[in-house]
Amino acid sequence: MNAATLPAVDERADPDTGKLGMWIFLASEVLFFGGLFIAYLYGRTTWPQGWAAASRHTDVVLGTVNTALLLTSSAIVALAVACAEDETRQRWTAGLLWATATLGAAFLAIKGIEWHADWREHLTPTASFAIRVAGAQQFFALYFVMTGLHAVHMAIGVGVLAALAHARAHGRAWARAHHVEVAALYWHFVDLVWIFLYPLLYLVERHG
Amino acid sequence: MADDSIHSRDFNRSARAIAAAWFALIALMLASLGSAYLKLGPWNMMAGLAIAAVKSAIVAWLFMRLRESGALIRLVALAGLGVWFILLALSGVDYETRHVTRSTLQAPQQLQRSSAP
Amino acid sequence: MTSYLDDGLTIRSWLTTTDHKRIAILYAIAITAFFFVGGAAATIIRLELATPQGDLVSHDAYNKLFTAHGVIMVWLFLIPSIPSVLGNFLLPLMIGAKDLAFPRLNLASWYLYVAGGLLTLEALFLGGVDTGWTFYTPYSTMFSNTYVVLTLVGIFVTGFSSILTGLNFIATIHTLRDKAMGWFKLPLFAWAMYATSLILVLATPVLAITVLLAVAERLFQIGVFDPAYGGDPLLFQHLFWFYSHPAVYVMILPAMGVVSEIIPCFARRPVFGYRSMAYAIMAIASVGFLVWGHHMFVSGQSLTASLVFSLLSFIVAIPSAIKVFNWTATLYKGAIRLDAPMLYALGFVGLFTIGGLTGLFLASLALDVHLTDTYFVVAHFHYIMVGGAVMAYFAGLHFWWPKVTGRLYPEVWSRIAAVVVFIGFNLTFFPQFLLGVEGMPRRYHAYPPQFQVLNLFSSAGAGVLALGYLMPLVYLAWSLRGGPRAGDNPWHAKGLEWQTRSPPPTHNFDAPPVVPEIVYDYRADERDPEGAR
Repeated sequence: MNAATLPAVDERADPDTGKLGMWIFLASEVLFFGGLFIAYLYGRTTWPQGWAAASRHTDVVLGTVNTALLLTSSAIVALAVACAEDETRQRWTAGLLWATATLGAAFLAIKGIEWHADWREHLTPTASFAIRVAGAQQFFALYFVMTGLHAVHMAIGVGVLAALAHARAHGRAWARAHHVEVAALYWHFVDLVWIFLYPLLYLVERHG
Repeated sequence: MADDSIHSRDFNRSARAIAAAWFALIALMLASLGSAYLKLGPWNMMAGLAIAAVKSAIVAWLFMRLRESGALIRLVALAGLGVWFILLALSGVDYETRHVTRSTLQAPQQLQRSSAP
Repeated sequence: MTSYLDDGLTIRSWLTTTDHKRIAILYAIAITAFFFVGGAAATIIRLELATPQGDLVSHDAYNKLFTAHGVIMVWLFLIPSIPSVLGNFLLPLMIGAKDLAFPRLNLASWYLYVAGGLLTLEALFLGGVDTGWTFYTPYSTMFSNTYVVLTLVGIFVTGFSSILTGLNFIATIHTLRDKAMGWFKLPLFAWAMYATSLILVLATPVLAITVLLAVAERLFQIGVFDPAYGGDPLLFQHLFWFYSHPAVYVMILPAMGVVSEIIPCFARRPVFGYRSMAYAIMAIASVGFLVWGHHMFVSGQSLTASLVFSLLSFIVAIPSAIKVFNWTATLYKGAIRLDAPMLYALGFVGLFTIGGLTGLFLASLALDVHLTDTYFVVAHFHYIMVGGAVMAYFAGLHFWWPKVTGRLYPEVWSRIAAVVVFIGFNLTFFPQFLLGVEGMPRRYHAYPPQFQVLNLFSSAGAGVLALGYLMPLVYLAWSLRGGPRAGDNPWHAKGLEWQTRSPPPTHNFDAPPVVPEIVYDYRADERDPEGAR
């Protein structure tokens, strides 16, 4: 056994491989959420009145606040990555990661409030669904599936960022700059999904 | 040290770009919100999607660093989007050319039965 | 000298391994088990169909049987088989790497696969599913009284496993190739793994969301797939087939990759048209995303869409045809040896051709109206899946067995088994083409008496086929226990995996492998040093 003759570099140490792996995963996620957008497009073009009527019952204030929270969290995590790559500023990284996770948690809390309100207003897909316009119930069924799936992804993101923040504060080997960058990529993707969910769910028809 | 100032310059550049992007994103979000209150007919959805597209371009290009990424990463991103467009386009051919006349059975009913096993 | 097999002898060392070679073996054990469960379902089906009356099982039980057979064979056997067993073992070796790009993710893939498989089996034991492996709505979501949700969750989990495997392979091929191995020096098996992985990563997520929506519909009646609630059953079908058609290329591309390694070796000729073979692989994967609507010709899809899909389905046949021509051309002026791997590989070429040609029948709109949902379709896809993919899997098993295990298997028995499989296969499935043209519908447990003779041939053939599949179980097990030791390269094959020991050490290569100038540098006039054994 002559391991000494093999190249000294451990190929797995290449930081770009993790980035590539995450991008490939995100490409698969585009198709994952993408199926829901197709179902949404079917519903919107088939039941335009129902979609409009139902969309007016979403809480546009909370939805907008959440969008702002998420966009801000993306900026903050981008800053965290920049800090991690800068020797003098890398001690800020953990704090920024915690901030991002907190904003994410706030997003989830607001989402929970929204869902609770929806349930109270009989907007969940049950026999007592409140809006008597054809297609409105389907809108809300998709609304819950889409925001629900998004929330699951966000929760995972919050967990990962919190774990990373903790690991960085304790100097762990798996929380280096390129690991932060990979986690940030995932976070940005979750933001991207919401960027489309916001107008499609909250802003179908607000005039009149 | 000279090294530090070079890195500082890099960081400051990044920080400025991130701040500018954030401003743009919030502004676009407000524009999207505002446009929904205007009576634009089918252009409401177009406006909403167009603004969302610009916002996602900012996030992807700047935050996700597609700007600095190599051809491979950009290809990966494009592949995901492209395949989704195939799904949209070809199923769209069916939906655009299929003429549906609904019977009374197919008018959506409220839920009447209990959950299936 | 120790090999990867000696590196830890406890079960725990196997279950916590990150060695791609051990993970491949873990997969092999699991998929073999699932293969025989799916095969058992097929056995009962063929026994039932030996007589026109539905006298062996009830119609409900029959529905559950063909559903179980389809679900298990597609998701628990065919999709993972060549990629997760042969791909996992060979890919790093073929490119001169120590392991995959993400070894721990690889182990996670296996656990996910087993978890999904167990969930599916549990649904089976609890009482099964009767919707067919296609789960068409609204029957599956609103009306079926069987374990739909459990099965769909099992499929979801297994699907996630295959996405991660695809991700791993893509990253591996891009980043871990030996410095001297440019894209056009990659073995065609590696190209096939790459294209397959692209499909796994980009198509499987659509299945995942479809299954999720179906579960939501079943649990909460969200109505997106049910016309009574304003939904569209064709929405389910578009989303389902968007994955499930590329899925068939996931099943066949690896098989083509295996065959492309074997035929040059046993004809002692370089593969004809290497570049066009590589381009054809990528073309099949790409165009394969454009044809799914050919499963929906009679579903209510618009005529325009059907015409578009029909045209695209004809186009996707072209790269496959190019590959068949090139395999055949590779044989020309070769020094052909009919060892077991070659028998299986040649069988693949013939049977895949028949399967592929009959696909063109089905791609023709007018013909499909008559042939759809008949036994013609059943025969068509079995020619490709069984006559093609399974035969190639066996070809690969036999070809790389010496490398994986360090042992040889009995020559004569392996050739007999290959011939038995070939005869049994054709006896089983050729009559089904005729049955289909005559109008026998699929998924029926009883049929008019005039179809019995052909069904009897088919059921008899199934018995022969089963025998052919059981034989390797016996002699390969024998080989493991006490077969003669194989050298590093019993077939005198090219390819980096043959430059290391049999079985390989854990770190794959003792000395850095030498990437040849020319891929598949076989010469028919090369003096075969003392035969392969």
